[in-house]
Amino acid sequence: MPSKTSSSARILVDLLRPTPRRPTCDCIHNRYLNRKVPRQARHVSTAAPQQSEMEVDSDRSPRWAITPAGMKAPVRTRPERPNIKINTDQRKLDDVYVNFLGKDGHKLLSEETKWLAVTSKSFDHGRRGFNDRLAFFGLLSVSDSAYFLKSGDQDPHDRKPFRHPAIEAVECLSGGAHDYFTHHKTISNLATQYGLPEVVRWHPRFPDRLDASGADLVYSQAVFAIIGALALEQGGAVANRIAKERVLIPMGMKRNWKPKVEAPESSPTTSS
Amino acid sequence: MKRIRLDRWASQLQPPRNPRLHLHQQRCPFSNETRPSPRREFQQRNYQVQHQWQCQRRHAASRRKASSAVAAQVEDVADEAPIQPQSEPQEQQQRPLNAPSHRRALKSAKLSALHARLSLPSKLPLQTLARCLIDPSVDSRHGYNNEPLALLGQELLGYYTSEWLLCRYPRLPVPVLFAAQYAYVGSQTLGAMRSEWGVETVAAPGPEVDPGLLQLKRVLPGNAMVEGEMMRVKDMPQARRLGSGRRNEQWNYRRGMSSRIVYDDQFGDLQTGLSTEDRPPFPGAPISTTDGNTYPLEGVDQEPNSQPGSFLPREHSERDVESTVEAASASFVRALAGALYLHAGSAVTKTFHKDHVLSRHLPLHTLFNFTHPTRDLSRLCAREGFEPPVARLISETGRLSRTPVFVVGVFSGEDKLGEGAGSSLNEGRVRAAAAALRSWYLYSPPESEIVLPSEVEGGGADKKAWKPQMVDIGEIVT
Repeated sequence: MPSKTSSSARILVDLLRPTPRRPTCDCIHNRYLNRKVPRQARHVSTAAPQQSEMEVDSDRSPRWAITPAGMKAPVRTRPERPNIKINTDQRKLDDVYVNFLGKDGHKLLSEETKWLAVTSKSFDHGRRGFNDRLAFFGLLSVSDSAYFLKSGDQDPHDRKPFRHPAIEAVECLSGGAHDYFTHHKTISNLATQYGLPEVVRWHPRFPDRLDASGADLVYSQAVFAIIGALALEQGGAVANRIAKERVLIPMGMKRNWKPKVEAPESSPTTSS
Repeated sequence: MKRIRLDRWASQLQPPRNPRLHLHQQRCPFSNETRPSPRREFQQRNYQVQHQWQCQRRHAASRRKASSAVAAQVEDVADEAPIQPQSEPQEQQQRPLNAPSHRRALKSAKLSALHARLSLPSKLPLQTLARCLIDPSVDSRHGYNNEPLALLGQELLGYYTSEWLLCRYPRLPVPVLFAAQYAYVGSQTLGAMRSEWGVETVAAPGPEVDPGLLQLKRVLPGNAMVEGEMMRVKDMPQARRLGSGRRNEQWNYRRGMSSRIVYDDQFGDLQTGLSTEDRPPFPGAPISTTDGNTYPLEGVDQEPNSQPGSFLPREHSERDVESTVEAASASFVRALAGALYLHAGSAVTKTFHKDHVLSRHLPLHTLFNFTHPTRDLSRLCAREGFEPPVARLISETGRLSRTPVFVVGVFSGEDKLGEGAGSSLNEGRVRAAAAALRSWYLYSPPESEIVLPSEVEGGGADKKAWKPQMVDIGEIVT
């Protein structure tokens, strides 16, 4: 039965044990970085390599390619569930990115993020990461950059509200246009055109009936996740441009629009 | 010596009232002095119930803001037959003017005071600010209410908040992200913001009411009695909310987190197409506050205005969908953000967001809820390649007494991941594991490394240099 003395002795021993010197990483203050790195050295962040100065073993598989060893049981007891064929080819993924994002599209994101953006939570039980957070941010980015430029309908009673060129275009938002442009079915069709279904990593419930398993959700989530990843790794300008050019305009959004109201009402502005 | 009473003089100096004045008035389509036209037949049923409720409200708290026209209308309807012959000109058979015209916006002192109080830029005209205060339940015509502005503003506020959260806390789990998003820009918070700004709501909308008040037509509470029936509104047989199309009530179906991102709104809540349905992520969820105290949401089981008839699809333009005060307040704040963006640009909107939304305090660590923290921590260490976590007793006191305290630390190798104190060994261990998980999920990169994506949007020479932000692979699936 451990008594008080032995616990205090243990504390003393802990204090007296020499702490080994570890290389400190001055880029990110993360205590987990400072521990001894045994067999699996890896990037802590998936951002640009210059941010992390840790060594990466070249013979180790990348994170997206293998399930972490500690999360697998040594012997499989249950039979494997049937699954669709999942892409593991980096080149095929890069081709799809070029198709989606344009020339040099495969260089916009880091390798881990490219794979993460097309990985659904159902893939490998979520052990290799998933694109939920990226899709959450990407959806808001797409909605935000979707400033729909379309003139509103004429008021049937010929009554004139306050018109100003700045808010002229906002009327089209109330017709549900925003919901249409971010609807999962339309985005999923777009994803199919870009060839995303071949590279998206997921585990459908019914491998022979992908639509019933929620393929639309997974494909649209992948599209949003790519946009979100672009925003986080390349900035808002690139993400907005891609969202407009490669997602919204192919779905029917107008490119340029000039307001019909030239001058605002000549009413005196507020004077404090 | 008596003081000079200028107010008495003023009343004596007014010209005598001309009883034939109303015949001389121009019938301007925008005139505000119109007598409110009688309600149409299909609005009767709802109106009678509403009238009853409004009468009760008026007796409960005498509000001087109630428009006299509405009071007169109420008395008229109570006395005589609802439908009167149409004697007004043709255009009065259209929708009556329920809200003040934008021409009156320039003369409103409340509106100008609000504009100044919020330090809004002069590029934002008073007329647009007045439009932001008009809910679609009052005036559903295009160009007169704040609905499109609110849609735009909601997206903007949501985008700025989510980028701030994701860049500052890149490892936040998705449920916590939803809850934090609601706490910052959800409707309850925006409603609190509206009252903090000092914007008051009208008792009943009308064309004579000051444009500086928030105009909305209040929805009938579910507990009110239906006219002519013995039931409450919420118990009426057709009191059924519109569904969102998701099969959540099936016995073997559980609405997961991933699907909420695409199917549901930015807070992870079901979209029923109603602007009033902006519910908290879980009962008792805290919202961000200005003073740092945590106020959990009250009224856990408030059934937001489920009532018959007024939840009609958008295409039915003749019926106004009524609104709650909270929803209308949130629409107002969102519309203001949208209007600022349109008139003054994104930089001003970002400043607005930072000043009003991000300045509020939200303790993120209270939003977590772990069911099996020890299991999750073990999975996390396995995934990241750390040594398996081991719990060790750091110190203890009072083991054999009535109130022991055990301080337990969870170690991975020689690094302490987390520490917790409990009144039993197991409790200490579980608390330590939870603390370790929170410290992982609430990791925040150094301030110098954080550049928000919107800071490099658009042109401008004063853009910051972009640094790629951290992308985390995801939380542990519990």
